[in-house]
Amino acid sequence: MTNKENLAIGARFALMVIVYAIFAAQLQSYYTVAGVSALLTSAVLTGLICVGVAITMIAGEMDLSVGSMAALSGIFSVIFFPLGLIPAIVLATLICTLLGAIQGWCIHRLNINSVVFTIGTLIGIRGLCLFISGERTALIPFDRIAETDVLVAKLWILTPLSICLIVTFIVAEWFMSRTLWGREIYAIGGARDEARAAGVSLKRPTMIAFSISAGLAGLAGALLSLRAGSASPLSYETVVLEAITACLLGGILLSGGRGRLLGVAVGLFTIRLLVSGIAALGAPFWMQNLAVGALLIIVIASEAIAKIMVRRRELMSTPDLIR
Amino acid sequence: MFLTKNDHQPIANEASQAAKQRHLRNAVLGLCVMTAFATIAGFSNPTFTTVDNLFVVIRAASMTGIVAIAMSFLTISGNLFALSASSLGALIAVVFAVTTSSFGFPIGLALTFGVAVLCGLAQGITVAGFGNPIIATLAFGTVFRGFAAYLSGNSIVRIDSPAALWLGTARPFGVPTQSWIFMLCALVCWAIIRHTKLGRQTILCGSNPHAARASGLNLAFVTSSAFVFMSVGTAIMAILNVAQFSQAKADLFWGYDFDYIAAVLVGGIALSGGKGSPMQAALGAILIALLQNYMLLNGFSSGLRMTIVGALVVAAISVFHIMQGKVR
Amino acid sequence: MLRMTNIIKKYGPTLVLDEVQFAVEAGEVMALMGENGAGKSTLVKILAGLEIPQAGTIEIDGHTKHIRSPRDSHAAGIGYVAQELSIVPSLPVYENVFLGDNTLGILRTPRVLAKKAKPFLESVGLGNIDPLTYTESLSVAERQLVEIARLLSREARIAILDEPTAALSDAEIARVKSAVRTLAGRGCAVIYVTHRMPEVFDLTDRVTVLRNGNSFPALETKNLTVDTLIEEMLGRRLDNMFPARSDGLQEIKLQLSGVRGAGLRAPVSLNVRRGEILGLAGQVGSGASSVLRLIAGTIPLAEGHMLLDGAAFRPKNISNSKQAGIAYCSDDRKHDGIFAGRSVPENLSAPALSIISRAGFLSFGKERRLAEYISSRFGIDASYFSRLAGNLSGGNQQKVALGKWIGINPNLLLVEEPTRGVDVGARAEIYRHLRELANAGLCIIFASSDTQEVLGLADRVGTFFHGELVRTMDAADATVQQISKDVTHATEAMA
Repeated sequence: MTNKENLAIGARFALMVIVYAIFAAQLQSYYTVAGVSALLTSAVLTGLICVGVAITMIAGEMDLSVGSMAALSGIFSVIFFPLGLIPAIVLATLICTLLGAIQGWCIHRLNINSVVFTIGTLIGIRGLCLFISGERTALIPFDRIAETDVLVAKLWILTPLSICLIVTFIVAEWFMSRTLWGREIYAIGGARDEARAAGVSLKRPTMIAFSISAGLAGLAGALLSLRAGSASPLSYETVVLEAITACLLGGILLSGGRGRLLGVAVGLFTIRLLVSGIAALGAPFWMQNLAVGALLIIVIASEAIAKIMVRRRELMSTPDLIR
Repeated sequence: MFLTKNDHQPIANEASQAAKQRHLRNAVLGLCVMTAFATIAGFSNPTFTTVDNLFVVIRAASMTGIVAIAMSFLTISGNLFALSASSLGALIAVVFAVTTSSFGFPIGLALTFGVAVLCGLAQGITVAGFGNPIIATLAFGTVFRGFAAYLSGNSIVRIDSPAALWLGTARPFGVPTQSWIFMLCALVCWAIIRHTKLGRQTILCGSNPHAARASGLNLAFVTSSAFVFMSVGTAIMAILNVAQFSQAKADLFWGYDFDYIAAVLVGGIALSGGKGSPMQAALGAILIALLQNYMLLNGFSSGLRMTIVGALVVAAISVFHIMQGKVR
Repeated sequence: MLRMTNIIKKYGPTLVLDEVQFAVEAGEVMALMGENGAGKSTLVKILAGLEIPQAGTIEIDGHTKHIRSPRDSHAAGIGYVAQELSIVPSLPVYENVFLGDNTLGILRTPRVLAKKAKPFLESVGLGNIDPLTYTESLSVAERQLVEIARLLSREARIAILDEPTAALSDAEIARVKSAVRTLAGRGCAVIYVTHRMPEVFDLTDRVTVLRNGNSFPALETKNLTVDTLIEEMLGRRLDNMFPARSDGLQEIKLQLSGVRGAGLRAPVSLNVRRGEILGLAGQVGSGASSVLRLIAGTIPLAEGHMLLDGAAFRPKNISNSKQAGIAYCSDDRKHDGIFAGRSVPENLSAPALSIISRAGFLSFGKERRLAEYISSRFGIDASYFSRLAGNLSGGNQQKVALGKWIGINPNLLLVEEPTRGVDVGARAEIYRHLRELANAGLCIIFASSDTQEVLGLADRVGTFFHGELVRTMDAADATVQQISKDVTHATEAMA
């Protein structure tokens, strides 16, 4: 990592610490074992999903259908629960991964703007959720609910869910920086035409990025639904907003090709600390949403301003720059 | 500086005649599709063709149509669409209800439109600087909903204004006020796009933003004005809704965004921008309203309805895309 | 080693390569030269798999190769370094060295790969760069060298370098030259596309010249002099394409004093008079187009000042210059010259919307009259009015791109490459119309890489090379040879 990158991540980390300090001063739950454990676990939904969203953004694309995908996976996991806890999670996640691969293939083949395409799939998959569940919340039979207890077990400040989150971040970071496929994703996001001219395939990284995004959304939906014992077809509508904000806050550029998952983790917890803190202080649900939306507007406004200033500086500088 | 009127006119006239014929043909085609659909639907479900149901459809089409017409400015200008329409509608509805119950109908109306214009400008300027209208409007959407909840105290706000009630429920000459306003909006917006300098600038910016800038057009101004149009249209719809039911709450119009987007796309306005007319969005809205009504009458669950609308959106996007020849 | 026979390439009705023959031996450096539009870029793009010829064969070591995609080209052992670098700046250097290489396995440990990249970087003179650094911190020249290193890592046997030194300083050019020598030393056949005399005479073994899509037998560099080479490149052209020049001086319209901006290395001072056509001759990276952009306001003025009609002039953007009566037409009409999806009249009225509207409402009558007026001045057939601009021929599109500026009645017209991608017939028309406009008082400055066009159309000529103004002269006193020598930096001391 370059010095500039280190500085950027350091600044973001400092911001996160400041947010933590502000709320920890008023909320005891921010530094008790139980409270921290709850904080970590509450970050799992957004966290797993924003890893996937980050990877698609790095690829220069965007997957807006993650919320619907998570809801679909939740319903599938409840339906498959009779097969056992782990098989249900695995199956639901695999189905979503497959759907993601199909999305990626379509987006590549049609050469279409992924933002536009995934809005369509967002609607469609949500509809599919409602259709499959018969518009009712799917419930795990009461007599078998004890089998999901393992998901709420506690190990100091960790739970199986938060362990999952941490492992996902580590594996994803390794994937993006240490494998050919991860590098290809950076390449097609950072300079797509140049990468193509150099012979990098566009199909593979696109399909991989969308498979991961859908798969992680599926994993999140399955884990959370089974833990709660129920899956509503209308859930996880606002996750995508929080995930995008976490990514942008964490240094992922909308234009693609840049950013590290470490930064995303910092962005994730900054938002989570803010939202949980607001909720714990008694604010109504819509205010949490408002905070995330406002934060996103601030982030994109500053990115726009930064872009203008960089362009201005670039044009004024060296005469070596042709065009 | 220009040549006198007599030279070259016949040939140029021919060219515009050809264009007019093309437009006429498309409109007639659209009407035929609708009539065919309505006939088939009517046969399969008799309730569809009752007078009461007709009024339901007309009202629904009008409301969706007003927003779709306004949204078409965004699409034509190359800004895809806004995901904040339904949330803005909720905010405007609450603002209208609150201001009307406090200050009366006229002042309430004026203040509400003022808020709408401000919201439009805020979104427009952000998108003009940032560039991604989907993400920006996604964010603004949640902010609007949040403010709506805040202003309404998260409960129902009622109004008691005879003027508003007339606006929402009257049927001058047997046609609901919403439909009159729908037709008026369609005509006005069509005139703006086709006959005004701003409309032409909107089309050119959507057609090729680089060429537009090179020709001296102000992209930021066009984007902002497109968002203002969208916001004003949404405001009209919201006001009519509150007028009709004499109340407003923060979760109004939830889930309607996709109907608006579907209306614009099904009406045939290209997502890439630079062509199309608000009339197409109006037509699309009528089709979508017909479809929704048909599905409702036949007991389609909301899940199935949403899936079908979603599939329609995906299909429309893909078809346009393939037709433009961009497929690998 | 490489032999291309009877290559034919057409873009629609335009014949770009007409039965071209081209051959290169292993270990030699072959210069590929020719004016813009002669077909050089197209020929190498065919080798790179980015274009497919309508006819012709490609043989490598006697085996016929079918190259239909960049992958085929790589498989055939061809490496291509384009003018637009295919470097991903946000990745580390070693990634860019191995970009597109799928043979290194899925797991990529940075340290291991960096060590692997080192020898390739050293052979191109980048031994001092740590392969782990991010490529964005490298200069343009260093990025170019990384691409050459990529060629080496792929064991390319044929290396194509398209204008590799256009944007480089002298010191950087030296590094590229030594990298090229290394390539040739390893038995690579190097195709060096360039317009720069110093490198041709210093680096290459043979020269192939393309002229108007035709190829000529390769010449030994050691047997060439600057004059003979320039004559080869220019050949003989139609002399009756250009209308007569104007005579008589008028007052100075625009004065540039010591101006500098992005693309210019040294300050430029120029004058243009009313009714005068000033032609700026220069190739890629010469800075000629930068002068136009400074006047148009699309790049900021870093140094110096401009006087328009005697008053200080410092445009911040296109709107500023448009208000001052300046019209600017870039060299890429597809990108920003025409609205492909709109009709011809809508294109022609785009800059003049304020003129054809009143109180915010458009007047279709005025628009039609404007379109007719412009079409009659520029030779656009009125029967095209109902067509979309994107469906017109190149020549007509260029007429639309240029003509639309007439509507605002400008007093200064700036054009980059006025006849790029335009057939001969339409070219003559455009020249005639531009001259008529100048005679009516319009001041025209155009930048072109076509030497004969500059000499034929302009009243005064400025020559540019490598970001500097070489000299200005009256067109009547200039020769094509002199202009060519200036823009290719050929001095008498060569060959």
